[in-house]
Amino acid sequence: MIDEPGPWGTGPFTLVQGASSITTRHVLMAAEPYTSSWLIESEQRDPQVVLEANRDHWNRADRGPRIERAVFRNDVDPAEALRLVCDTEGEVDIVTEVSPADARRVQDSAHARLVVSDANRVLVGIVNRGSDAPLSDVHVRRALNMAIDREAVVRDGLHGYASVIPAMTPPWCSGFPEGATPYELDREKAREAFATASWPARRPLRIAAGENFAEIAHMLAAGIRSTLELKVEVLVVPADQLPAGARALVEKKLDLPWDVLVHGWFDLSSEAPPAAVHREYFGRDGAFRAGPPDEGFDALFDEMRVQLGGEALVRVAEKIDAYVHDQALALFVCAPQALYAVNEHVQFSPYRTTFELAEVTVGERHWSRTGGGGASPSDRMAPGTATARPGFAGASGNAC
Amino acid sequence: MTAPPEPVGTVHVVDPSPLNWLFITWNTMEEPIRIDQDGRTVYSLAESSEWLDDGTLELELRRGVRFQDGEHFTAHNVKQNFDEMQRWAAPHPPGTWLNFPAPESTAEVVDDHTLRFHFPGPDGLAIGKFRGFHIASSAFWDGPDAPGFGYKKHGSGEGHW
Repeated sequence: MIDEPGPWGTGPFTLVQGASSITTRHVLMAAEPYTSSWLIESEQRDPQVVLEANRDHWNRADRGPRIERAVFRNDVDPAEALRLVCDTEGEVDIVTEVSPADARRVQDSAHARLVVSDANRVLVGIVNRGSDAPLSDVHVRRALNMAIDREAVVRDGLHGYASVIPAMTPPWCSGFPEGATPYELDREKAREAFATASWPARRPLRIAAGENFAEIAHMLAAGIRSTLELKVEVLVVPADQLPAGARALVEKKLDLPWDVLVHGWFDLSSEAPPAAVHREYFGRDGAFRAGPPDEGFDALFDEMRVQLGGEALVRVAEKIDAYVHDQALALFVCAPQALYAVNEHVQFSPYRTTFELAEVTVGERHWSRTGGGGASPSDRMAPGTATARPGFAGASGNAC
Repeated sequence: MTAPPEPVGTVHVVDPSPLNWLFITWNTMEEPIRIDQDGRTVYSLAESSEWLDDGTLELELRRGVRFQDGEHFTAHNVKQNFDEMQRWAAPHPPGTWLNFPAPESTAEVVDDHTLRFHFPGPDGLAIGKFRGFHIASSAFWDGPDAPGFGYKKHGSGEGHW
C-alpha cells in the first residue's frame, strides 16, 4: 500500500494528498512450508485522500480518467455520509458499502440513486469440521444445508440484495459447474440425513457471527432448529473480540468456540474463484479453514494450480466447486450484492471486484461544474465502523 | 482520431471498505494485468504473455507508457519491482498464497519491453497473482526518502504490498 502521496505509478490518477494504509498483524499458519496471512488491526487514513487525473495516462481514450479530481473523505462516518449523499449536494457523491437495510432510504432520497452490482462476494457459514460435534460427517453438513431457507435469508435478511448460488462460485464467474443447483430447503431429506449421524444428546449447535451478520445468524438458527429439532445457540461476537477470534481461526491452534461461523468474503477476479475463495475456506493454506485439511479438495486444487491453459484451469475450477457442494464443506447461503449511493449527477458503473474511478463522469449540473457545494473536512476519522446492519464494511478477516 | 475528452469535475467519495488502501493503490498504480468491470483479466502494463515452457513466462510490455513523474516505463521497472517484492517472506496482506517461490523465482530483462519470469515449476495462477504486483517508479524505491512499500514508514515490506 502507498504510505505517502507522490507520482509513484502509471495509473489513471495521481495520489496528491494524504494516504490510506492499514496496520496488520502477522498470523502464522505453518512454519514449513512457510504459510501466513495478515489481519487488519487498524486503519490509518488521512481526513482527505485526494487523487488527481493523470492526463498522460496511456489508456485515456478507452478508460479515462474522466474527472479531474476524486476526494476520499474520511472525516465523515458512513451514517453521516449516507445522510449527506441523500439529502445534500456538494458534500458526498458516492458512498460505497451501503447496507441493504439502507437501500430504500437511498431510493427515496432527493439527491442520490441506488447502484447495485452483482459483486463477487459470498456469504457462507464456515463449518468447523474440527468441532467435537460430528461436523466431519458429510451427512450432517448436508442436513444443515437442506435445513435453511436461503430465499428467506435473501428476502428478509438482505432485503433482496443477494443471489442464491449453489456453492461458492457465482454463475457469472468462470468455474461455475454447468447445471449446478443450490441445496433446497427439504425438511424430510434434512431429517433423514441428520438421523444417520449420532449427534450427542443435548449438544447444541453453536452458530457465531459478528454484529453485522447477527440477524442472518438468527435466521439460519431458526431454520435449523425447526427442521432438525436441534437446539441451536447464536453467539454474537462483539467488535472488540473479532480480532482475537479471527486470529484463532487463521492460526488453527486453539479450539474454536463455534460450530458454524457466518462469514462474508469476496473475490478479486471472475476467472478462477477457487484461488481466492474456495482455497481460503477449505485449502491446506486457507486462512478460514476450520478443521483438518481436506485431501480431496487439496488434490483438486493442486491439479488446478499447475494448469497453464485457461480452459483447462477453468475445467478443474468447475470440479472444485462441484466437490465442495457435494461434500457440503460449508453452509452455503448466498452471494450478496454491492450497493452504492450515488449522486444523481454522477455516472458510476461499478466493478464486480473493486472500486474504480477512471470511468466515472459528472454531468453539467453537478455541483463541481456549477460552482455549488464543497466539503469542509473535519478532523474526525471514522471509516469502516462496524455496525449491526448487514454489510461488508468493517468486516474482519485477513487483510484482503 | 478524436482526442479523448478532458477530465472535468470533482467527486467526493466515502468508502468504508476495509480494502480502501488497495483501491487507492489500484486507482493510482498499475500492474501487468488488471481486472475489468466484469471481473475478467485484461492486459494492462503487459500487452501479451506466453509460457515458453512449464517454468518460463514471457511478458511483452506496453510501449509509450510513462510514470506520473515522467519516467519511461520499461522492463527494468518491472524487474526492480519484482526483485523488491521477492525480498520479503510474506509481502502481500492476503497471505503467502500470492507469493512466487523464493529464491527460485527470478525476473530476466530480455529487452526494454520484454521480461522473462523463471519459476521453479508451472504456476497456472501466476497471471492472476500479477494483480497484486504493483509497478512503482524508480523514485518510489531509490534514495533515502523513497517510500517503498512500507520501507520508510515501517522499515519493512512485509505485509505491505
